[in-house]
Amino acid sequence: MNLNYELSEQDQLAARLAVGERIHYCVPADLSLEGKRTLGYFVVGKEKWAYIQNGELIESCRIADACDYNVVPLIGNAILEATQDHTKRLIVRISMQHVARFAYIAQILNYMAEGSKIRIYNNETEMVCPRCGGGLLPGTRLCPKCMNKAAVLKRLLDVSKSHWKKLSLGLFILFLTLVVALTGPYFQKLLVNSSLQPQPGESPSLSLFFLAIFGMLFGLAAGELLNVAKGRVMATVSSTIAADLRKLVYDKIQSLSLGFLTSQRAGDLMNRIMADTGRIQHLIQEIFTTAIYQFIMLVSVTFLLLNTDWKLALIVLVPAPLVAYLQITIWRRVLNRLFRKQWQVNDKANSYLHDVLSGIRVVKMFGKESREIKRFRQYNSEYAAAAVHAEKIYSILAPVSTYLLQLGTYFVLLVGCHMILKGTLNLGELVQFTGYASMIFGPLAWLMNMPRWIANAVIAIDRVFSVIDEEPEILDTKHSVKHSIHGNVQFCGVTFGYKSYEPVLKNLNFEIKPGEMIGLVGHSGSGKSTLINLVSRFYDVNEGEILIDGMDIRKIQQEDLRSQIGVVLQETLLFSGSIIENIRYSKPEATMEEVIQAAKIANAHDFIIQLPDGYDTKLEENGNNLSGGERQRITIARAVLHNPRILILDEATASLDIDTESVIQEALQRIMKSRTTIAIAHRLSTLRNADRLLVLEKGKIAEIGTHRELMQRKGIYYNLTMAQRNIG
Amino acid sequence: MVKVESTLCSQEIVEKKTDLSEAARIHYLTPENTEFALTEGKLLSVRVDGELYPVVYLHCSFPHSNKRMFISVRTSENQEVGMVKSLDEFPVDIVRLLDEQIHMRYFAPIITKVINIHEEFGYSYWEAETTAGHLQFTVRRGGGNVKMVSSVKVLITDLDGNRFLIEDVNQLSEKEYRMVEMSL
Repeated sequence: MNLNYELSEQDQLAARLAVGERIHYCVPADLSLEGKRTLGYFVVGKEKWAYIQNGELIESCRIADACDYNVVPLIGNAILEATQDHTKRLIVRISMQHVARFAYIAQILNYMAEGSKIRIYNNETEMVCPRCGGGLLPGTRLCPKCMNKAAVLKRLLDVSKSHWKKLSLGLFILFLTLVVALTGPYFQKLLVNSSLQPQPGESPSLSLFFLAIFGMLFGLAAGELLNVAKGRVMATVSSTIAADLRKLVYDKIQSLSLGFLTSQRAGDLMNRIMADTGRIQHLIQEIFTTAIYQFIMLVSVTFLLLNTDWKLALIVLVPAPLVAYLQITIWRRVLNRLFRKQWQVNDKANSYLHDVLSGIRVVKMFGKESREIKRFRQYNSEYAAAAVHAEKIYSILAPVSTYLLQLGTYFVLLVGCHMILKGTLNLGELVQFTGYASMIFGPLAWLMNMPRWIANAVIAIDRVFSVIDEEPEILDTKHSVKHSIHGNVQFCGVTFGYKSYEPVLKNLNFEIKPGEMIGLVGHSGSGKSTLINLVSRFYDVNEGEILIDGMDIRKIQQEDLRSQIGVVLQETLLFSGSIIENIRYSKPEATMEEVIQAAKIANAHDFIIQLPDGYDTKLEENGNNLSGGERQRITIARAVLHNPRILILDEATASLDIDTESVIQEALQRIMKSRTTIAIAHRLSTLRNADRLLVLEKGKIAEIGTHRELMQRKGIYYNLTMAQRNIG
Repeated sequence: MVKVESTLCSQEIVEKKTDLSEAARIHYLTPENTEFALTEGKLLSVRVDGELYPVVYLHCSFPHSNKRMFISVRTSENQEVGMVKSLDEFPVDIVRLLDEQIHMRYFAPIITKVINIHEEFGYSYWEAETTAGHLQFTVRRGGGNVKMVSSVKVLITDLDGNRFLIEDVNQLSEKEYRMVEMSL
């Protein structure tokens, strides 16, 4: 992370005057106290800091005159504070862009104020674009300056490359279809001129009559057959490309870090996998079946029309740009907005329905059915109104444009008949001409809608690629190794925050011996769940290291690490499927006997065996056909089946009644033998068997020891225990 | 249970002693029991019933619907010192001081003119005139980064966590509205 920005000459001069010749750190402090963005800089010298703005010194002070330098994140901005003369003071105000930078600066200032060695782990790299050198979008390899739509389509082409044989076949069939279609008007002309109304001096020819009829019939039949073949080939190719894309997105989502995934809505990600790739599939199909066909048709028919009679051709073509203009304007200015509005109302109604139906119990409990009926009625009529509004305009626009387009044909007939009467055109030529003219309206109308569907498809493509381009925060390196865990876990100076400027855990140092059970105790928000997230390496530490059997956790392959850790959470997440499939989730190759053993250990076997379908019982969505205790016992069986060396219990029994809890506790006791266990529980009686208890307070270890030791100390743990006893 | 009658209207608050208010035991700060002051270090301090809290922060209960009502006064340890029911209960100079502190905490420049928004690859790039000056910022699509926080107010949160407000979408020009609507 850049902690040493370059200053303008003017600023540099002012900074040097304030803090001395050598500037150690310099970062932007870009917000004035009045809330204006400014070009200010916070400069740190050997002994002093200074705030410089436009070459002017605003304030400076000796670093050692204050202590407890600290960044306080507010809403949408932050301030750097310090304690001076026993009172807090505000030093500078900054936008959120530089908060992480200031978190480092605050640490540095604290070290300098204490006169100790500066010890910071500045490993947050600022990614830059290799092409333009500008900053990349956080979490991606995308440079906002270097992206364009052509590049998007090119990427789609790259994915399509592996299917080039089938794509070429599709294109070949498409060309054949085109040639066949273009022969139609020629045979019509032949029919009229050779037999229906031969030229003066010529007699009707029966053979040419049959040739023309056969030609037209062949054109119709062959055209349809080729269309079927083209449709089949393109459907296969586009589906396979879309499937490739879906796979790419899904694989990427699985590899992304928990942090990114929890910031996204599940529905949104589902849309990217299914709906957006569906749109892309539609785009490919459309390009290779309709787009290229219509485009070539437009060019060749225009050429043939101009070649036959350029004056008539102009009459046909003149209304087209007008109609195109009308269509595009109305789409852009009116319809686009109306349809979008309609989708938005639809989305709102959908999420409202999802909310209410999944929370129907609450609605019933509070007797709010009539209120909900009223609310739905409102959404429903809003949607209907939006739909009617959009459709009304669309229903007028479509026939008007078609009418305007076909107006050209009437003029052609008018002028054409006049030319026949004058003898400059024969009937056959007019028939051929009107045949070609009618062929041009399809491509023209299609071309007018093209910008809209291209825009939609490009949105879909960039939504899909935005996931594909997302970088996982936790990565294995080439040096990552497999490691068979014994169970020693060590935290060495671990500091971690989901945002680096807001540490949740601060400088943790402790060791858990193999087979030991550690109980994590502390108030909500003290960092207990964060600590176990770090053991599973869902996030990487900001400072310090976590060692497993003396090896840095970042050097162990993620999959290998997690396959040796068993986790039981408070919320029981079961997938749709049978009980055996759910237990086997952690070890798909487990035998039936192993599954039963795991269920026995988890005290689940007895209730499963009583079910009519035993282990084959199909679970409904999230196992709703089982009780909370039963579901929890299945998750415990799942966690122990793969024989994890480290067991993590995060409030595993918090939501259960005392009887069920004691059954599950007994099961857990059996499992925990010879396994390193880290357990979180608010109900302290749950942790009575823990070898040691670790009390966290505001991200720091406040107390550590056995139950007896901590009770004697009469600190936080003692107070918590006494408080619970009193409630009990 | 007795019905609680209270409204968010700043002028008149109808509130009766109820079971609920008895149970909630909210400690209201009034001009009679409270003295706010700006410290030398440009932070806010408060003395309540003779007890001094050297640094406190103001947290609005309704930062979007009404910033001037039900303001929680909290220490840096996040302990509530008490609640200001309405800013209007206090003298003008104190209201000004508290207003400044609220604006310091809830910083969201108001967008006065949307110059351009274009969307690509799941991000929208905004260029706008705001009360904090001319700004360009990037917003990640989805995840509620551009959302209606009232029937007319739009809150935009950029990639870094900076926040911006459009006070009234109906006041936007046709062109501006079209651009904003695409991101909603």
